Amino acid sequence: MSLTITCPICGKRSGYEFRYGGEDKGPRPDEDELTPEKWFDYTHLNTCIAGMQKEWWCHRDGCGTWFKIYRDTRTIGEVPLPVEDKIKDA
Amino acid sequence: MVFKHEQLLGKSRFRSSYDAVIIGGGLHGLATAYYLAKDHGINNVAVIEKRYIGFGGAGRNTAIVRANQRTQENLPLYQEALKLWPLLTRELDFNLMFYNCGNLNLAHSDAAIKSLRLNVSSAQFHGIDSRLLDAKECKTLVPALDISDRPRYPIFGGMYHPPGGIVRHDAVVWGLARGCIKHGVHIHQNTEVTDIGVKNGKVEFIETTRGKIKTEKVLNAAGAYSAALAYQMLDIRMPISVLTIQAMVTQPLKPLMDHVVSSGAYHVYANQTLKGEIATGSHMDPWPNYTTQNTAYYIKHQAEALTELFPCLKGAKFMRIWGGLADMTPDMAPIIDGNDPVEGYFVDCGWGYFGFKSSAVTGKYMARFMATGQCPAILKPFTRQRFEKHRLMGETAALVEFSPNN
Repeated sequence: MSLTITCPICGKRSGYEFRYGGEDKGPRPDEDELTPEKWFDYTHLNTCIAGMQKEWWCHRDGCGTWFKIYRDTRTIGEVPLPVEDKIKDA
Repeated sequence: MVFKHEQLLGKSRFRSSYDAVIIGGGLHGLATAYYLAKDHGINNVAVIEKRYIGFGGAGRNTAIVRANQRTQENLPLYQEALKLWPLLTRELDFNLMFYNCGNLNLAHSDAAIKSLRLNVSSAQFHGIDSRLLDAKECKTLVPALDISDRPRYPIFGGMYHPPGGIVRHDAVVWGLARGCIKHGVHIHQNTEVTDIGVKNGKVEFIETTRGKIKTEKVLNAAGAYSAALAYQMLDIRMPISVLTIQAMVTQPLKPLMDHVVSSGAYHVYANQTLKGEIATGSHMDPWPNYTTQNTAYYIKHQAEALTELFPCLKGAKFMRIWGGLADMTPDMAPIIDGNDPVEGYFVDCGWGYFGFKSSAVTGKYMARFMATGQCPAILKPFTRQRFEKHRLMGETAALVEFSPNN
C-alpha cells in the first residue's frame, strides 16, 4: 500500500509527488524574543507520535502549495481533518 | 523452534527489582547489558523487549559494517567497532560470520569524487585503510560493474575501504543474548515498558505489562521507538524523525560480487550473500512512519539502480523484501545522553541506518557510562545538547533532498 495525499488544489495524488514538511508545531516563533532554545525547539524537536499526527506537506511536483493534513503514522494513510480543525485552519 | 529458543536463552524469573533495566532487546540493548555484566560486574540487569529479541532493526538491517565515515567524532567509534567483530566471535564463542570483503562506494560526478577525497583523507588521518580509485580500478575490483558511458550517471571512481564487510546480524543477536544469559542477565521478551517512574529528578521504577520493577538506572535503547517513548514517558522531545527503510534480496546467483558496492547517486547498496543472493537496500521512504510496509516504488527503483550499475543482473528476480525503521537525526549522528535531564535515565538512539555497525562498540562504552556515571570520551560528542547549540556534525553535507551529487 502506498500513500496518497489530498492536495487542496489538485486533489488526491500519489504521495511521491509531495514533500513532507515536518510535524505541525504551530506558528513560527516571534523573531523579537527568539532565543537559541526556542529556535531549537521549533526547528528540531519532534514528538514522533506512533499514531495520528498533524503535519505539513508541499505539493512539490504539482502546484507547490503548502498545507496541513492528519496522517496515521502506523498505517501511513491520510485521515480526514477533524471538524474543529477545519474551522480553525480555514 | 520454541524449544530451541528456550535452550538458547534459558528462562529467567521476573524480579521486582534490578540494578539496571534496558528498554529494548535489540543489539544496542543486548550489547550494553552484556558489557555491564561482563566488564563491570553489574549482572542484576534486565533487558525488557516488547516483541522478541532481534525483531526490530537488529534483524532487518543489511548487515554492512564499515569505518569510512566523514567526521572525526564518528570515525574512531566505527574503527573500534570493526576491530571488535573478530574479538567478539571468540569471546562469545559464536560464529558471527564476519566476511571481510571490503566496501566500494561509487562516485558519479566530480563533486562526488571531491567529497570522497575528504572522506578518504579523514579516514587515513585516523589510520583507517581507505583509498580513492579511478573507474578502471573499480572495474578491476568488481568486474561486473559497467564503467562505460551508457548509464545515466556514469561511474567516475570510487572509495575502496578494505577493512569493512558483512557481519551476520542474527548471529550477533543470538551471540550477545547467550553472552548476557551466561553472565546472569535476564531477558524478558513479550514485555512492554509502559511508564518510567521519576521522583525528585531521579529514576525510581519502571512499569511494564508484567508488573513494576524498582530500578535506579534505565537505558532507553528502543531503537525507532525511543523518541516516542522519551516523549510519552518523560516528556522529552528528540530531534528525530522515524522513517521506513526497505531492503530486498534476489534469487541466488553465481558469485559475481565479492565486495559491498554502494552508490550515493543511485541510492543503492548491494552485496552478494554467502548463499548467492544479492542483498540490496536503498534510501528511506520520504515520510515518517512506523510501518514496515514495502512499496512497488522501491522495488522498481532498486531494479533500475542495480541494473544500471550491473547490467548482468537484468532478468534476476527479487525473492524477498522487507522493511525496517530508522530513527534519523538531522546530522546523521546518534544521540547519547545520561543523567540528563533525569538522573538514572540513559539514552542511546538516533542511529538511523548506522545502528548495526555501531552496536557492539557502543554497548561497550554505554555500559561504562552506566556503571561509572562518567561519559566515555568516545561517546561525548553525541549529546542531544549539540542541536541546542546548533553545532550539528558534518556527517553529511546536505540532507533530505536526494540528488546525484550527494
